[in-house]
Amino acid sequence: MTPVLQVSNLRKSFGGITAVSDVSFEVRDGEILGIIGPNGSGKSTLFNCVLGQLTPSAGEVRVDGKPTTGMRPCDLNRLGVSRTFQLLQVFPQLSVRDNLILAGQEHQGSMYSRLIGAADAGLGAAADQMIEFFRLSHLSEEQAGMLSYGQQKLLDAAMAFMAGPRLVLLDEPAGGVNLTMLGHLRERLQAYHAERKATFVVIEHQMEFVMALCTRVLVLAEGRIIAEGAPQEIRRNPIVIEAYLGH
Amino acid sequence: MNRLGTFLVAAAAVFAVAVPFFLKPFGIYLISMWAVLTIAAIGLNLTLGYAGQVSMAQGAFVGIGAYTVALLTQADVPYAAAFVAAGLFCFAVGWVLGYPALRVQHHYLAFVTLAFNTLVFLVLRNEEWLTNGIYGINSIARPAFFGWSTGKALDFYFFCLGALTVLSLATWWILRSPWGRAFVALRENPVRALSLGLDTRRYTLIAFAIGSSLAGLAGALYAPLVQYIEPNSFGLGMSFNLLLMVIVGGSGYFFGPFLGALVAVLLPEWMRITEGYYLIVYAMFVMVMMAFCPSGLLGLVERALKAVGRRTPSPILRSEGVGQ
Amino acid sequence: MASFIQLLVSGLATGAIYALIAVGFTLLWQTSQTINFAQGEFVMLPAFFILAAMNLGAPFWLATLIGLLLSIVVLGLLFKLIIVDPMLRYGVLPLVISTIALSLFLKEAAKDFYSSQAQPFPALVPATDLNVFGAVISLQSLAVLAIAVATVLALHFLLNKTRLGRCMQATAQNPTLARILGIPVERMVLYTFLINGVLVAIASILISPIYLAKFTNGETLGIAAFLAAIIGGFNQVRGAILGGVILGILDNLSAAYLSSQYRGAFPLIILIAVILLRPQGLLGRVEERTV
Repeated sequence: MTPVLQVSNLRKSFGGITAVSDVSFEVRDGEILGIIGPNGSGKSTLFNCVLGQLTPSAGEVRVDGKPTTGMRPCDLNRLGVSRTFQLLQVFPQLSVRDNLILAGQEHQGSMYSRLIGAADAGLGAAADQMIEFFRLSHLSEEQAGMLSYGQQKLLDAAMAFMAGPRLVLLDEPAGGVNLTMLGHLRERLQAYHAERKATFVVIEHQMEFVMALCTRVLVLAEGRIIAEGAPQEIRRNPIVIEAYLGH
Repeated sequence: MNRLGTFLVAAAAVFAVAVPFFLKPFGIYLISMWAVLTIAAIGLNLTLGYAGQVSMAQGAFVGIGAYTVALLTQADVPYAAAFVAAGLFCFAVGWVLGYPALRVQHHYLAFVTLAFNTLVFLVLRNEEWLTNGIYGINSIARPAFFGWSTGKALDFYFFCLGALTVLSLATWWILRSPWGRAFVALRENPVRALSLGLDTRRYTLIAFAIGSSLAGLAGALYAPLVQYIEPNSFGLGMSFNLLLMVIVGGSGYFFGPFLGALVAVLLPEWMRITEGYYLIVYAMFVMVMMAFCPSGLLGLVERALKAVGRRTPSPILRSEGVGQ
Repeated sequence: MASFIQLLVSGLATGAIYALIAVGFTLLWQTSQTINFAQGEFVMLPAFFILAAMNLGAPFWLATLIGLLLSIVVLGLLFKLIIVDPMLRYGVLPLVISTIALSLFLKEAAKDFYSSQAQPFPALVPATDLNVFGAVISLQSLAVLAIAVATVLALHFLLNKTRLGRCMQATAQNPTLARILGIPVERMVLYTFLINGVLVAIASILISPIYLAKFTNGETLGIAAFLAAIIGGFNQVRGAILGGVILGILDNLSAAYLSSQYRGAFPLIILIAVILLRPQGLLGRVEERTV
């Protein structure tokens, strides 16, 4: 069974600094993999290398067995890989509904059909469904920039899901979200995962969130993987605890 | 659009149709020029206001369109065909020009278009066998359609107005479609757009190519309007002028070009008192505007509306362009 | 062969001037993300400052000093304070537009407030020719070369061998880090603007005797600066120098051996070729793709 995501010997250096060194791991179909680690451990750099935002200095990335190292993010997305962002990335002046339509439109038809066809690229109903799923219906026509932080986080996730991706990479989805909203977010992610059998990779700081959501956890420190296993084991692992102490 | 906006646009449309009857021939010439330049400005607005790219070659594309039509009609090609040819040719040239330039960052397109504008001028000036060089091409005929001749000033004005209407509607259609949404995404958040499968390079290139082809169509109207064209008209001066038009009107706003072109066409007339200092005043005005309200006159209007608490219309029609 | 050497030398001289202009342009871009579309006009203007001073009775050497000073203050300090600083918070695009408007403003100002006619400009050295290995080389070319090279060397010394220069380089490469290290970043950026003021003034003094002081000079010189900067590699000062020199030589050679009507076209074609084949320029580093 080909793993959905395969990272082999990935390295990324910026000048003299090696942010990620010799990282290898696999993500199996249907998993929710969590990647944790203290600040500066290279989690975001790793993510950006996998997602084509950065070109790795060495190593390989494969999605469903296909090599994707250094591919442009838009091409990667067409292969079924989606992401959310640590710093909010919605389109503030478009409405919530328009944000979602935008999120899915590039997967509908061709360039030409998108010019000639319907203004919503046939995604009106799908967008409404997604809005309902995330319980944002009352905000459908609001400008995305007017939403609260937590609501924008939900929108961010909704946008990542619009194209029905195979693999979703979530970059600190819980960051800055209040407790109530957090529960709601986690619950919606789990519901989506159950319904669509999608595969998730989550970078997160908040331990509770990771433990509750993820099926397997990787721990990064100083650019290397120092531990791997089920959430409960990781929690008790002395090497992991050591890496986090002093932060 | 909200009711106030719709009312204003309707009023302006009525005005545009009625006013020529009260003007002398020179006045009619001016508003015809306004219509033609607006078309070129609409194109540049797509490139700059939506895709966020500075093009310094819009004047050159107007020139290419003008010469294409002048040469073809003198070779007895029907005007309609020449018109379409001008648009298509400029689209192709824009595509070829933009393709390499947009692969890199740093506003390279600005420099490439700057160079291209000069190159076009040199070709127009030097290739006398084709373009008649510095002597230009004169006696460019005004077209006739199904018996209706546009020879007279009033008739030609309505022809230009008609073209402007059609092309505006076409642009409005594009902006309403998923392409329009993509252009807005391009400007608001290209990183996010990429991660959603939006090929930002392709869309930027399309915006630039369409923008250039609109300039070509404007040129196709410019030639029969002025009836004498020569290389000097299409140099950096016109490109700057069009750029300033888009900026002053409000880049990224649908009606920005209309307003900007109006200012550009009327300003020299208003400033006759300053006897030719108007370019300096214009340039200073733009610099001041960039410092305080980079989103142009319509940006000012929008700010005023927001201050009064009114809801502003859909972002496709009014999104922020330069300067957020 | 003799005429080839002549062309080469005069090409080197022009190239050295282009290099100065391109270096200033690149410095501004590197340290403060300022794309100065008015750079050409910045070179056109100091000559007029000097001519105006001379009209008021100052001897050439004094006028030159005045011109230099005015250039530093107006094109360096005032440019930064009045135009660049207020704009930067809006992003790069409004600044680009502003400098485009500025170039128009300066050009029209020179035309309206001084003259639309080309003005003769005093040369630094008498217009004699030297005979070197059968080639006739103008003293002026050599003088231009000497001064330009001296300026570049001085700049190189400043940037690489002095503490101030290294602080400026640090600011250019990583302003956040530089700030953390205690480098007064804003002051460093100001210095780059002042340096640009000096560079354009020197370029102006060197080129105006040849081209005559004309308000349209900015157009060609500006394009030359941009081309040189891009050909050399947008983010490299050394690249700007190399680009300028190559441009100057090619420009002169093409004018002599190819059609002079298309003289301006050759550099433009090179630009397009560079962008197609090697967009990072000859010496530039491939930039990390951010989008």
